[in-house]
Amino acid sequence: MTGEQLRLPVPDEPGPVRHLPAAVRPMVATPVDAPFDDRDYLFEPWWPGVRAIAFAERASLRLQVDGLADAMAAFPEVAGLPTQLAEDGVIVDGTLLVLDDDGRPDSGLLRIRLDGAGLPGRAAYVASDLLWAGGQPVTRRSFRIRRRWLESILAPGDRATVGRGYEADGTLVAEALASLGIEGLSARHLDARYRSGPATGAWLRAPITPAEPRPRPTLALILRLPIGD
Amino acid sequence: MARSMWRGAIQFGLVTIPVKLYLATESSSIGFNLLHEKDLSRIQMKIYCPVDDEVISRSETVRGYEWSKGKYVVVTEEDLESVPLKTVRSIEIEAFVASDEAEAKGARFVKQAYYLEPDEVGRKAFYLLKSVLADSAKTAVCKIVLKDREQLAVLNPYANTILLNTLHWPDEIRSLEELNLPEEQIEIKPAERKMAEQLIASMDAEFDPEQYRDEYREALMNVIEAKVAGEKPEPAQKAEPTRIGDLMAALEASVAAARETRRAGGDAQGTGAKKPAAKKAAAAKKPAAKKAAKGKARAKPAEAEEAPARRRKTA
Repeated sequence: MTGEQLRLPVPDEPGPVRHLPAAVRPMVATPVDAPFDDRDYLFEPWWPGVRAIAFAERASLRLQVDGLADAMAAFPEVAGLPTQLAEDGVIVDGTLLVLDDDGRPDSGLLRIRLDGAGLPGRAAYVASDLLWAGGQPVTRRSFRIRRRWLESILAPGDRATVGRGYEADGTLVAEALASLGIEGLSARHLDARYRSGPATGAWLRAPITPAEPRPRPTLALILRLPIGD
Repeated sequence: MARSMWRGAIQFGLVTIPVKLYLATESSSIGFNLLHEKDLSRIQMKIYCPVDDEVISRSETVRGYEWSKGKYVVVTEEDLESVPLKTVRSIEIEAFVASDEAEAKGARFVKQAYYLEPDEVGRKAFYLLKSVLADSAKTAVCKIVLKDREQLAVLNPYANTILLNTLHWPDEIRSLEELNLPEEQIEIKPAERKMAEQLIASMDAEFDPEQYRDEYREALMNVIEAKVAGEKPEPAQKAEPTRIGDLMAALEASVAAARETRRAGGDAQGTGAKKPAAKKAAAAKKPAAKKAAKGKARAKPAEAEEAPARRRKTA
């Protein structure tokens, strides 16, 4: 990764800034049997949330969520996302979560929001991939570069952030996720482009079976304590 | 300093050390008065007898002890005065016990703390007692009569004096059996323990009471002062909402713990028979799926090159 490659924007086709498309057809992960180790992959939690493509254009945000006509109404907290972006004309692929009082993603609360039955908990957005930046598509770039760009243009905030990812050690991350009660592992190929529709090897999803039923307080303990940095 | 609230002597064996007692703490909570809403005048409490349906005066009341349901025996001032008490005007030391043992066995159920101040004649003996308590890590268990009541208390060295803490009697301390506590030991895995230890270490600090304040009291005072000044108090800020960064930190911590566990376990990893077996099964299943997936992944960049137009349209 050279400094040259990190500089933004480096669109696929240098040219006039374009308006963002109304919608995109997102990449779909391919299921595999079990977590694995591979240096070519970036491993992330399969967050228990809903897939959401975020479109940021001229300081306003649009969310594309399957089956939701007005996703912004269901997740109003993330409206500030464009203020965290160093670029305009950005499309981000990620996951919307609803956190409970302990900061834990709660699929029950998420369900209520998706059903339009209220706004319980606090919504948050975890970004994983970058599709457009500076009004230009970047989908032909490798995921390695897209991810670096995403990290460099999206500043971490309370309601939206780039997720943490780990290279190579898939089974290790899976063990950690099992201890957090998260049931899936996402593996993105670092050299792959962003593909619409089935991703085959570009993006894999592995199930994680928790070793045993876990008492919830452990996570509450972790979340209450500031860690490291 | 404030007036002493008690004067007497510490007594043990043949030694008598005259001391004064001062309250070590004071309450700083905000007091309210009950007012009549209509004209904001202070209200008065009257003592009411429901049987006679009339308001009675305090002098018409006596103390009663309910010895059986609805049955009372009257206890007069004279009765109270006739209660024989040995500990009047003295702090009678009953025993010296190990401080940590005292802590473990009920000396934590403290009612009130008092400072002791030795009279000038007793200073030498007082500081001798203090230094021996400190050096031998002992606590003096004693009895003292305060406010008409015999109290159990402990003496411990504190700064340049001795602190007297009155304690609850053992029969005033509630049994833990009323609580829903697990009977069996909760099983904690090494990884969990490691994670918790790591988190606790990250918050390691010296105890500095100065840095803690009663924030509720301050906030309440602000509301009151604003009302006195005729302003409308600002609505309370809601508790800090949960942040997505905390979740990422939790993830980071558990990955670090998993890494640590692996490092500690080395390549042996054979602590339990169950887990390695499950791992092996998973490992046996995985390569095929992975290889297939990877094969496609490897093929992918070329494939993508072939159809860039289509991709761009959809993305």
